[in-house]
Amino acid sequence: MALTITCPICGKRNGYEFRYGGEEKGPRPDEKDLTPESWCDYVHMNKCVAGVQQEWWFHRDGCGSWFTIFRDTTTNLEKETPEAKE
Amino acid sequence: MFSKSKPMWGKKTKLKSSYDVVLIGGGLHSLATAYYLAKEHGITDIAIIEKNYIGYGGAGRNTAIVRANQRTQYNVPLYKEALDLWPVLTKELDYNLMFNNCGNLNLMHSEAAMNAARMTIATAQFHGVESHLIDAKEAKELVPALNISEDITFPIHGAMFHPPGGVVRHDAVVWGLAKGAAKMGVEIHQQTEATGINTKNGKVTAVVTDKGVINTKQVLISAGGYSAALIHGFLGIKLPISVLTIQAMVTQPLKPILDHVVSSGAYHCYANQTLKGEIATGAHMDPWPNYTTLNTAHYIKHQAEALSEFLPALRGIRFMRIWGGLADMTPDMAPIMDGNEQVEGFFMDCGWGYFGFKSCSAVGRHMASFMATNTCPDILKPFALKRYQEHKLMGETAALMSYTPDN
Repeated sequence: MALTITCPICGKRNGYEFRYGGEEKGPRPDEKDLTPESWCDYVHMNKCVAGVQQEWWFHRDGCGSWFTIFRDTTTNLEKETPEAKE
Repeated sequence: MFSKSKPMWGKKTKLKSSYDVVLIGGGLHSLATAYYLAKEHGITDIAIIEKNYIGYGGAGRNTAIVRANQRTQYNVPLYKEALDLWPVLTKELDYNLMFNNCGNLNLMHSEAAMNAARMTIATAQFHGVESHLIDAKEAKELVPALNISEDITFPIHGAMFHPPGGVVRHDAVVWGLAKGAAKMGVEIHQQTEATGINTKNGKVTAVVTDKGVINTKQVLISAGGYSAALIHGFLGIKLPISVLTIQAMVTQPLKPILDHVVSSGAYHCYANQTLKGEIATGAHMDPWPNYTTLNTAHYIKHQAEALSEFLPALRGIRFMRIWGGLADMTPDMAPIMDGNEQVEGFFMDCGWGYFGFKSCSAVGRHMASFMATNTCPDILKPFALKRYQEHKLMGETAALMSYTPDN
């Protein structure tokens, strides 16, 4: 099982250089009208997609960039776009 | 395995168009729930729906270790009950589950860890679970293969010794429970994939499968690592779960050298010797969600390094088999058991991470009671999904396990 991640600055690198940063959940909810439900949803809740998902990565042992990629969680392969097929 | 011949648990049945209860997932939590629904509540019109075969997932991939030395007052009684049930189930099912209570030795590699162990031990003792703190020399007496020299990466300061824990043959539990449940009328449908849950006015009405629609008022999803994706896919309910691949392996068979389950948090490694002589070892997870169940070279190296430090007799021994399974991790390392809350008639039992095997017997019993009476047993109440919203996280780990930026 190999994992490579394409960093926008450093290019395609070994996956162990990176730290997974969670599913992409959209912008942080506005503090106005924030409810325990909406905050919990943002902080904890995941879709756990078995397939292609958009997710955050942090180039921990590299340039320090934060960025999102699309990855198929059933194969560990990066995808160009969410619709991309094998 | 799927031939026309009779399955090992009884006769092959045709999928009916309706059941009182449908359980999605053919793992230990479903099998145990079905068994206790039939045995203790007289509900036998049950279908277990399994996409592959029973025991395909975590039930057949875990490393068979059982113990009741968890950290919190909510978890310990549940695991204690599960531990106490192995000999009972062996008798009841008339099936040898090969329970070997050889004892667990949880190594501590710093004074801070020793202090943490003191607290965990106090919790265990308060709940009537045998657990002691021992020093490095005593650990060496119990497990002579242990390296207690100070000349390793994480020198051993002592250990948490939990004599009633040990190993149970996981496949035997699958087969025993399947037989026991089928004997009372539970139907097991392998090669049947659940593809949806129909609801009407906030109530469950049916489970959709690739073999047809099954009308039912009650459905449980306890599909191990696949639960979170199914629950979101079927009902749009998001869960605080990250699904990771956890890896394990066995070495070539050796003469008896290890008669305890030894584990180390600092080395991220545990090991025990199977009855065949292999050293079964594991613990590592690559820290990004995936459903691959594949192994990594990174991990094989890690495991070899760890074992050759604290069990140096294993240097040069070869790994013989290696495999992976799924662990559905929650931030507080405690499971989610809930029902009739989001949708009437919908129950879930998931988020077990790598504790699903140890807990299956007791949890099946309590989930059965929950489903039969529509009343949540007190012991399961703290595990409701709402705890995350109310910020009543369980504290099973001292620090949150989050596969998100803060970790």
